[in-house]
Amino acid sequence: MDYSRLDRVRRSATPLELDLVEAFAQGRITRRQFIQRGTVLGLSLASISAVIAACSSTPSASTAPSAAASASAEASAGASSSTAPAAGGSIRVAIQKPVKVDPIQMQDLGGYGIVAQSFEFLCTLDKNGSDIAPGLAEKWTPNDTGSVWTFNLRKGVKWQDGSDFTADDVVATMGRLVAAGNSGLKGIIDEKSAVATDPNTVTFNLLSPNGNFPYLVSVFNAQTVITPKDYTTGTTLDAKPNGTGAWKLDSFNPTTGATFSRNPTWWGGQTPLDSVEFVFFDATGPMVTAYQGGQVDCIVQFDVLSGEALLSDANTNVIATRAALHRQIWMRVDTGQFTKKEVRQALALSLDRPAMIEQLFKGKADLGNDHVIAPIYPYFDDSVPQRTRDIAKAKSLLAAAGTPTISAKLHAGQLLEIPDLATLIKSQAAEAGFNLEVAVESLDTFYGAQWCPETPKDPPCSGAAELGIVDYGHRATPDVYLNAALKSKGIWNSSQYNSPEFDAAFGEFQAAIGVDAQKAACKKIETILNEDVPIALPYWYNYLAGSAKKYSGIYSSALGQMFFSAASQSA
Amino acid sequence: MAATTTAVDIRSERAKARRESRAVLFRKPGFIIGLAILAMWAVFAVAGQAITPYDPFNDFAKGHLPPNPEHLFGTDRLGRDVLSRVMIGARDVLIVAPLAAILGVTAGSLLGLIMGYYRGIVDDLVSRVVEAFLSLPVILVALLTLVVLGSSTLVVVLVVGILFTPIVARTVRAAVQTERQLDYVTAAKLRGESGLYIMAREIFPNVLGPIVVELTVRFGYAIFTVATLSFLGVGIQPPSPDWGLSVSEEYTNMISGKWWPTLFPALAIASCVVAINLIADALQSVSSE
Amino acid sequence: MIRWLLRRLVLSLITLWLLATIVFVIANVLPNDVGRTILGPFAPQESVDALNAKLGTDDPLPEQYVRALRNLVTFDFGNSFQSGRPVIPLIVAAIGRSGLLAAYALLLTIPIAIAAGLFAGRRRDRPADRAIVLAGLTLSSIPEFVIGTFLVVVVGVQLRLLPVLATPPPNASIVDLARFLAMPALAMAIVYFGYIARMTRAGTIEVLESDYIRTATMKGLTTGQTMRRHVLRNALVPTVAVIGVQIGYLFGGIIGVEKIFNYNGMGQLMLFAAQRKDIPVLTAGVIVIGIVYMAATLAADLIIAWMNPRARAESGR
Repeated sequence: MDYSRLDRVRRSATPLELDLVEAFAQGRITRRQFIQRGTVLGLSLASISAVIAACSSTPSASTAPSAAASASAEASAGASSSTAPAAGGSIRVAIQKPVKVDPIQMQDLGGYGIVAQSFEFLCTLDKNGSDIAPGLAEKWTPNDTGSVWTFNLRKGVKWQDGSDFTADDVVATMGRLVAAGNSGLKGIIDEKSAVATDPNTVTFNLLSPNGNFPYLVSVFNAQTVITPKDYTTGTTLDAKPNGTGAWKLDSFNPTTGATFSRNPTWWGGQTPLDSVEFVFFDATGPMVTAYQGGQVDCIVQFDVLSGEALLSDANTNVIATRAALHRQIWMRVDTGQFTKKEVRQALALSLDRPAMIEQLFKGKADLGNDHVIAPIYPYFDDSVPQRTRDIAKAKSLLAAAGTPTISAKLHAGQLLEIPDLATLIKSQAAEAGFNLEVAVESLDTFYGAQWCPETPKDPPCSGAAELGIVDYGHRATPDVYLNAALKSKGIWNSSQYNSPEFDAAFGEFQAAIGVDAQKAACKKIETILNEDVPIALPYWYNYLAGSAKKYSGIYSSALGQMFFSAASQSA
Repeated sequence: MAATTTAVDIRSERAKARRESRAVLFRKPGFIIGLAILAMWAVFAVAGQAITPYDPFNDFAKGHLPPNPEHLFGTDRLGRDVLSRVMIGARDVLIVAPLAAILGVTAGSLLGLIMGYYRGIVDDLVSRVVEAFLSLPVILVALLTLVVLGSSTLVVVLVVGILFTPIVARTVRAAVQTERQLDYVTAAKLRGESGLYIMAREIFPNVLGPIVVELTVRFGYAIFTVATLSFLGVGIQPPSPDWGLSVSEEYTNMISGKWWPTLFPALAIASCVVAINLIADALQSVSSE
Repeated sequence: MIRWLLRRLVLSLITLWLLATIVFVIANVLPNDVGRTILGPFAPQESVDALNAKLGTDDPLPEQYVRALRNLVTFDFGNSFQSGRPVIPLIVAAIGRSGLLAAYALLLTIPIAIAAGLFAGRRRDRPADRAIVLAGLTLSSIPEFVIGTFLVVVVGVQLRLLPVLATPPPNASIVDLARFLAMPALAMAIVYFGYIARMTRAGTIEVLESDYIRTATMKGLTTGQTMRRHVLRNALVPTVAVIGVQIGYLFGGIIGVEKIFNYNGMGQLMLFAAQRKDIPVLTAGVIVIGIVYMAATLAADLIIAWMNPRARAESGR
């Protein structure tokens, strides 16, 4: 540990940053988590490298340069152009057919993926695919409490029509997002929150402190792409293709595909590839077929179920991004056969999670521990013991609850691996004494009839079935899972979980600003949920994308956005 | 009195003719083969897990094992025995398809009898409706309806059955129109029999042949239709081992050489429809002889 | 003839009205929350209500029905619920692509199927006939999606003979177009083969058994002459009829084929719209397919009348 180097960083750090540096220096968070948190708080790259170097070196500092270099490589933004630009070329990309390419109103991964080619975020995606990095904002800093965030915008950025990008564009975009009721920003900012303090600075006065705010104006809140000041809600990318990004839209056909060519004036420099061509698909199966047939070079997203072939293909780079994608098996705590904690624990104990991950994802998933704090979150606490399969214990718990056998309907929607998951649960739980009948319905019907029926309205979801599986997408922070699915009277609380103890822990998490406080709150949340089991959560699965081996430098978020600005083609 | 005797004679003659055509039928190899295949699937569907080599639902081996002595048809993505699942996969379709066919043929025959017998305004009106229905692609309308109503076995039966009704009605109407010009109908009319009586007791037995043929043909189309709907995701729902559903769950894996979980259910669909068509073909040639 | 055509046109209009009514009933048979469908289960109730009011889906049913009929008359079905784009251009583009595919399939299959049917009809009940009948029966019994998948794996992926993607690159030449569409067209052609060959066979047998052919044979005409002068023309009557009438069915099969080959035709458009309950697209699609069907039956009737004077006389009644 090189204390003198560390002290230099400490002296210039804000209280929030200091808190983080201390946590890392004392080994309470990992290096990866430190980089991630440091980026969110706007700690400069130099400072991050310096802290890592200081903490991993002796005072002689002889090894510092290499450590710093590796850290900076890991944390560097996706902006830098490749050191050895290959000679042009093109890539053909298979993507889900976009439903809407209106940046403000789009709701589908296809739309996110197309729009993010031309438009950019304040905070873009880091090359490792799960963190944020400087985008249109070069730097961001919170005040001491995390209630005011200042974003310093990149200078010299131009819209593709030649006009200058300024703070006014950001303020106008935020105004449109607030007016449209963006789900990520709702309750966080209002129409007066974003202020242009000068042409290159935007200050956000949040409605309440939020330590994770940069995530909400990043690639992980896909609608927050910055559009020109004169844009209106409802304008689509093809109607007004004028972004700041690396790619310019050349043609767009809503049913067949879109083509982009290099934006020669992009602030990030010259892209190695000349053009990117998107081909639209309605399902993953044909995408995989087309890829195998050599008609596309890259797939934006595939699932193990239909893309298993790619996982073992020697000519394919599988881009597996660890994510917070998961399934919740909800059990009603207020009525029906699962009201006793023992019964819910028994079902959770009967699950063979490693087998599920192998059968459904060929290993491309993390173990779940029946709580919603994903292992990728920097405040994840790994000290809560992992639940493993224990049929004997499950049986004794069922007996203790006075119900050695339970017959119930397991409801599921027709989506990706969920019907197969239901099949596995039925089979695994049978050994413990559960006699489950799987009922799969089309997704719409399932949501409306089983998961969260609109009536009775109060409390929300009180018309839900007693047992079911529901899908949750990737979120950069667990707030939505905690707030909607588990908090008392949460809008998607289909288990009708109602625990003052949990609500208090969640309150602590929301109010926590420093990483120590967040992690402590998470430990409470994890422990409570793991004990009460309102939901069983068997796994967190990876977001999978793939490309032909001859392309390198492609990276992808878990929300359908794929970045080709650094991609190049080998001969 | 004389008229009654004639009627009795005609009826016993008809019965004799039916016995004879039954004998002819059983001499046709196509009919026998078709019946045998169908009987095999029926036995598998009824006996179910009692005769499958593995538990088709809960026995998980390694995923996507190629066909081998232990798993003759290999295993599927979750490691379940494909042979066992194909055997038991007949269950849903052999309930849904015949019910849909029976529904369609019953309703269609009634409609066809009425249209063909009364002609005039009734025929014109009903014909318009029938034609409107006929110009709808069956699969598309079924898709539309199932999406709106949500898929369940009952809804699939109703939708497919109703969509088959106008097609059957048109065929039966044509057959009835030929019959109603014949002497025995005229005679019955002269006797002052009611329209209902003539349709039920005079015309119906004589158009029974085409109706039976239509029933088998519709049965074949029903299997085809239900399989296609399952493939499109609105027919029989998981976790059923239904053939069409299995194909839609596994077809993308064929690219990586894992053809067995797709090929065998697909062959099962084909065998079933071919068997029914063989039967229909035999019936048709017997009834036209 | 003119009177007959006029009558047909009037009847077609009535049929169209019935069609629109049927679709309206299907779309409204259940209390279907359109706003909820468009915005998804996660949208707040206020936005759903606002959208429903904007779209007029809260209006009384008779009012909606009148609106639907007005749409039919003006041929304006509004905008797609999902993409917000006008429906008609979407449908026109898609139906053009599907039409191309269907025409290609028919082009591949008609000559072979008719030849096979004539051949089989002349050799009734001999082994060659049985083989053709059985092959036709088998091929038309297998759903299109099954045949399509086998083609993808064998021809596209294993042998790499043909592209597995049916959408040709923009500005593709005719040769490229033919190559890209070959597999889906083949999958459909195989299914049509059964229908058409069996119909031609039946027509041939019927003609060969008729009195005038017997007379012709007795007059000493050679088989070739008989076939050309009498059989071909008359035997094709049921064939043309079946092609016309099966147009609706062909469209059903196209959905599965387009799904596998990811071809952006009518089938894909309808499947996509159905899954997302995009009622305007579905309504317009069904109506347009209905019009195509009626046009095809009419064309088939005209061709039959031209080929067969007897039918012309009958249809004039």
